[in-house]
Amino acid sequence: MRGVFWTVAWVAVLVIAACGGGDSGASSGFAPGNQVSIAGQEINVVLPYKIPERFLDEFARQTGVKVSLNVTNWDSVHAKLVVANTAKTYVADVTEFDWSFTGQFAAAGWYEPLEKVIDPALIRDLSQADAAFNTGGHTYAACYSNDYRLSLYNTNMFMAAGLREFPKTFAELGLAVANLKASGVRYPLGIPMAATEGGVTPWYLLTLAMGGQLFDQHFKPLFADPGSAGYRALQFEVDAVHNGWVSPGSVTLDNAPAFDQFAAGSSAILLASSPGNLPTANDPKQSSIASHVQPALIPGIRGPGMTFGLPEGLAIPVTAKHKDAARAFIEWWMQPANLRLLYQEAGMLPCRSSLIASMATSGELPGGGVLSQELAHVVPLFPQGAPKWYGQFSSSAQGLLNAAVKGDLSVEAALTQLAAKARELAGS
Amino acid sequence: MGMLMVAPAVIITAALVVYPLIKGFQTSLESADTAVGGQPRFVGLGNYGDVLRSSTARDAIVHTVIYVALAVTFELMLGLIVAVALHRAFRGRGIVLAILLVPWALPSVVSGVLWRRVFDPDSGLLNSMLQQLHLVSHPHVWMASRGWALVLIALVHVWGVLPLVSLILIAGLQSIPEEVYSASAVDGATPLRQFRHITLPLLRPSIAVALTIGTVWAIKIFDEIYVLNGTALNTRSILMEVYNTTFVNADFPHGTALALLLTAVTALLAAGYAVAFGRSTT
Repeated sequence: MRGVFWTVAWVAVLVIAACGGGDSGASSGFAPGNQVSIAGQEINVVLPYKIPERFLDEFARQTGVKVSLNVTNWDSVHAKLVVANTAKTYVADVTEFDWSFTGQFAAAGWYEPLEKVIDPALIRDLSQADAAFNTGGHTYAACYSNDYRLSLYNTNMFMAAGLREFPKTFAELGLAVANLKASGVRYPLGIPMAATEGGVTPWYLLTLAMGGQLFDQHFKPLFADPGSAGYRALQFEVDAVHNGWVSPGSVTLDNAPAFDQFAAGSSAILLASSPGNLPTANDPKQSSIASHVQPALIPGIRGPGMTFGLPEGLAIPVTAKHKDAARAFIEWWMQPANLRLLYQEAGMLPCRSSLIASMATSGELPGGGVLSQELAHVVPLFPQGAPKWYGQFSSSAQGLLNAAVKGDLSVEAALTQLAAKARELAGS
Repeated sequence: MGMLMVAPAVIITAALVVYPLIKGFQTSLESADTAVGGQPRFVGLGNYGDVLRSSTARDAIVHTVIYVALAVTFELMLGLIVAVALHRAFRGRGIVLAILLVPWALPSVVSGVLWRRVFDPDSGLLNSMLQQLHLVSHPHVWMASRGWALVLIALVHVWGVLPLVSLILIAGLQSIPEEVYSASAVDGATPLRQFRHITLPLLRPSIAVALTIGTVWAIKIFDEIYVLNGTALNTRSILMEVYNTTFVNADFPHGTALALLLTAVTALLAAGYAVAFGRSTT
């Protein structure tokens, strides 16, 4: 009897083991052309942002495809996608695809190339922003949020401090901050520095704005040298904490609460903001400083500095169950009227070049002049394409930079350790 | 026949515990490049050596030991005080017990969010109170200093677990026969001697349960740290390092190796408690 028992138990384990290794549909799975009926299907979409209900309802009305939206915060979306795709299991039909995912996700083969399945005219119109999603001759996402970094400032506080325009250089920024403090603004600058992705983004931005790059073309880290822009960028953040330019709590502040504090009138300058925050900051329902917020170019060394793009796209995992419906959803999302609506109601700056030009001409983009000027300063963080180990690099950067601004590590120690990690990752 | 009766339970356990453990162990022996399109290679116990040599993992182990030491000490001391105070009937005892249970009923993320408002450096209750009492001149960033952050996070964890520990000890106290106390009183034992020589020895099984639960939960501490200080290095626990390695870095082999080491240590500790308390109560 004991033998029968153990046989049954091990057979069960082996059966489960055999089932567990299965691959749930990694084939292409698109119907040729658009000759397939998708009505009656239901697709799951995973995004880090809320989308207006009526937007999704309208898609369902027009196509008969129901959309089930799963909103998860940005840092968790990456974890969800990594876990599901590593296990080769279904996670959704359409998912978030951040610029920083490109290297890793493309190398792992987790997503469908879109250049053959999406309308070629749309792909051409998205090509500038979609460059961040291109690698190995494939385009892995359709950009829906043309995110990049610019500064926002509170015009009321600037006027009270006798400042007429936003500083163009870091030297001018120092003087402006001194004037703002003298006028009673306790902590003039808002910079998130928590141990999160949002907390390291300002360091990337400052590195570019100070005229540098993180890596050379062979991914050799450039930031550990004390004369480098990356080193000076982190020193700037550490000094900002010590000099009381930012609130002491900035060292545990992520980007969303940093914007909330700015919108509540706690700081005068949000140094690294998304353009999508501008309509929100000027919306009286969501901001106590509405109509007093203007966008500004990121300061630099001798004039406005460089900034970088953080486009986010929609992509189709190879494990998606309804790929044709997913493709229809992406193409529908990219229609100009829908992109306009999402900009107005969700602050997502469109990526279609033709639409941006049209909105800037018609005055639909508040602060459109500055937004267009800043676009001219946008450079990629990784000109050679985001490396497949970006996630690990960013994770190390989050901890080490945060330790530096908290005073647990010196700037030199933090960046030396980060450079060693980067070399290890690049060499592996 | 008996074996067949327990077979369903054994099969379910095999499916949900044994198989994942075997699969996890197998993953921990593979190279770390599978999440970026590489083919898995057998690397033996190399991943275990890597995680033990990692300074981040070593710091996380030290932090976890501190969390466990602080949490278990406070939980047992405070739990014993609460249990002794509440195990005898008094007017309003039910209400007090109900209030005591509230922190335990709250999800740890929610209690983390509540305490984040207390510790917030810019607008938190704690800084505001200390400044009004003129005990500090400027706001203190509690999560910036390693020492304060570890103690405060451990206290937030204790706040959530204390009700359960207290309930376990109250149940233990109520199982001690009243006659033992009466007899010792006749012999002239003072309340302090009764506590030392009757309550504590007879409470050992309950203390063992509370200690085991408290230790295991403290080793698993995650939510409170994540909400209060993110994945910052100065407070990162071992489970958080497992999460970061596995899901953020997509490095499943190293993450699994660390998780299995943690499982082994937890199991050893629990077994150690069982043996130690089992021996002393027999």
